[in-house]
Amino acid sequence: MHFLLFSVIDNIRSLGWGGAFQLLRNGIVLGSLYALIALGYTLVYGILKLLNFAHGDVYMVGSFLGFGVLTAFGGALNPGIPLVPLIILMFAAAMVGSGVLGVSIERFAYRPLRNAPRIAPLISALGVAFFLENSAQLLTGGYVYSYEALDLGGKNGNLGPLVSPVFSVGGNPVTVVQVFVVATAVGLMVGLVLLVSRTRFGKAMRATAFDREAASMMGIDTDRVIASTFFIASMLAGAAGVMFGLYIGTTFFFMGFLAGLKAFTAAVVGGIGSIPGAVVGGLLVGLLESFAIGYVGGQWSDIVVFGLLIVFMLVRPSGLLGSYAIQKV
Amino acid sequence: MLRRLGFIAAIAAALAVVVSTTAWGSAKAPRTAAAATASVKCGKTVTIGVAYPATGAVAAAGANQFDWARTAQKLWNKSHRPRIRLVYGDTKLDTDASANIAVAHSFASNGKMLALTGPAGSQEVQASNSIYKGSGLASISPSATRIFLTRAMTGNPRQTAKGYFFRTVPNDGEQGQAVAKYIHGTLKEKHVYIIDDGTSYSTGLADQVQANLKQDGVSTVRNHTTTSVVDYSSLITSIPNNTQLVYIPWQVAGNANTFYQQSQTANRKYKIFGSDGTDVPGTFEPKGVGYVSGFPVDATSKTYKAFSKAHGGPETFGIPTYTAVWVNARAVQMACKAGHGKTTRAAVRKDIPKVQLTSAQSLLGFAVKFLKKNFSTFQGPGDMAAPASFGIYHVNSSGAYVRVG
Repeated sequence: MHFLLFSVIDNIRSLGWGGAFQLLRNGIVLGSLYALIALGYTLVYGILKLLNFAHGDVYMVGSFLGFGVLTAFGGALNPGIPLVPLIILMFAAAMVGSGVLGVSIERFAYRPLRNAPRIAPLISALGVAFFLENSAQLLTGGYVYSYEALDLGGKNGNLGPLVSPVFSVGGNPVTVVQVFVVATAVGLMVGLVLLVSRTRFGKAMRATAFDREAASMMGIDTDRVIASTFFIASMLAGAAGVMFGLYIGTTFFFMGFLAGLKAFTAAVVGGIGSIPGAVVGGLLVGLLESFAIGYVGGQWSDIVVFGLLIVFMLVRPSGLLGSYAIQKV
Repeated sequence: MLRRLGFIAAIAAALAVVVSTTAWGSAKAPRTAAAATASVKCGKTVTIGVAYPATGAVAAAGANQFDWARTAQKLWNKSHRPRIRLVYGDTKLDTDASANIAVAHSFASNGKMLALTGPAGSQEVQASNSIYKGSGLASISPSATRIFLTRAMTGNPRQTAKGYFFRTVPNDGEQGQAVAKYIHGTLKEKHVYIIDDGTSYSTGLADQVQANLKQDGVSTVRNHTTTSVVDYSSLITSIPNNTQLVYIPWQVAGNANTFYQQSQTANRKYKIFGSDGTDVPGTFEPKGVGYVSGFPVDATSKTYKAFSKAHGGPETFGIPTYTAVWVNARAVQMACKAGHGKTTRAAVRKDIPKVQLTSAQSLLGFAVKFLKKNFSTFQGPGDMAAPASFGIYHVNSSGAYVRVG
């Protein structure tokens, strides 16, 4: 233990402020991705009280859909169309495809179990997760596929514009793709908050989340609201999948497993069911992971993240921004 | 009354479960024992097991092993008798230890199975070797590289039974020595950062290289990651600026390439040295800054060329699986011939150390024969004898692998 402490202090010293800034930057980018996935967990939990463990694998499918579009247009090294429309198409395909997948999962794996005990849809969710993961493995051969994000849009063998710096802090660059990931994630989150709080559909969502039966009696088509919620949640996961590909540069069938668990942790830490909570939780998990890797060591990152989950379950099960449900007995 | 009846019914049901489970278990044990001594008619086709990770985080490496096993089967069956039938078992490697044990029990009780290729991981070999020994099967692993599997060293006894374990891959000691010698002796690096991916393969190899480098007076720093984490940005941040070379003996070549790409994005200028796990041209391409240790495969070989064409590019990690299937097939063939059309697992097991393959047959780039006693510092019975070794390759600026050591 003493050795570990000395090692951490030594790492903090040797990395200095520059290293701390880099870890902060990396944590925010990673946290933005976790937050987007965590929003999906939170939306579905808010409306159905269901932990949709297949959500991480929808994110994986989204990443592959984006990769499919990239490949269809000639790949990163030789794309047939300019970079901006290519990225827009990748996002469109991943978001719509993931959305449709989410609605299908809800229709065939969860809706028939809506009145069953709560453990039934949970098991069904795990089944869907394994189904998607293993199907993806069969379809992709289990290989790791590279987005070649480093070269995407690059000319004459030079690195692509995604990895060029936008600005620097103390000589530590922040690249285009890092700004893009954070900005897109923030944009999507703001859009979601506005959708839920300012639109008729958002009101219907909130009513369904509050009391499905009463909402139904008031004329709200709750099945449609739930399906739409799955569509939106899965769209966000699909977008996160493409962002992951552009930022990390890779996609593979197993990627949804750990990312899904970490996003679930983020949702719980932030307060599952709370949209701002998912964002705060995502950033917290991303930052913790980044600083744990940088200061403590790569093998500690999962221990720190899932240790946080245990602490929150014990000390504050409602999460940072969640509220306790008061039930009339 | 009804409640009492229900209670009695529950007790009866529980008893029935206990009795049937015990009966199933005791029936399984004789099945394994019977399979161990059964005389098998060779006929036209004999059965060989292949235990490999078909699913899980390292399924990509497993896919390479599967492809090469199928290639070996196809080529053997074209011109040799008896033909071989391969039965596959998914051990999942690292994600689910129980899968490996389930495969071992299933193979052990398969009365038709005469030989076994696999399992892939050293920890899997350790966990299943007693099961295979109990059933009379010897295993030939194409990728379990931990030294203690074949050689007892100070404080560490040999972890498999002699005569029941062989491998068609040089062990960590041999690869570690070759890599450290090149880093220190040829590249003359003084500051090396070592990152293992948490798997048994990777940690064992990283330990060995680190120990050798330390002995040579090279300064080393060690860190770890896992096969399912691919955001290396913070890991890269933690690599000191004076690092000249990062050694990544990882199991998934795609992850190693992601590490390279993220290092480039972070504008880091160190060299990147991979292992036989990352020896996948076309996937791991640290252009101009990369090195890998790999089998000195003859790239002009007809089989290798045909495989590369059929699978969209060259791949060498799975070649020892090809070799292991070939050794097994040859041993079964010898045992069948000696038994006049009939054989047993024991006979096949005894014939494995007698098998010798030429460099062209093994595809590894060297001839294969097995040691019968300890040799040098690291090798023991079950390891391949010299000239089995690793070559060192430089990844040039166009991504091609050029042998340099």
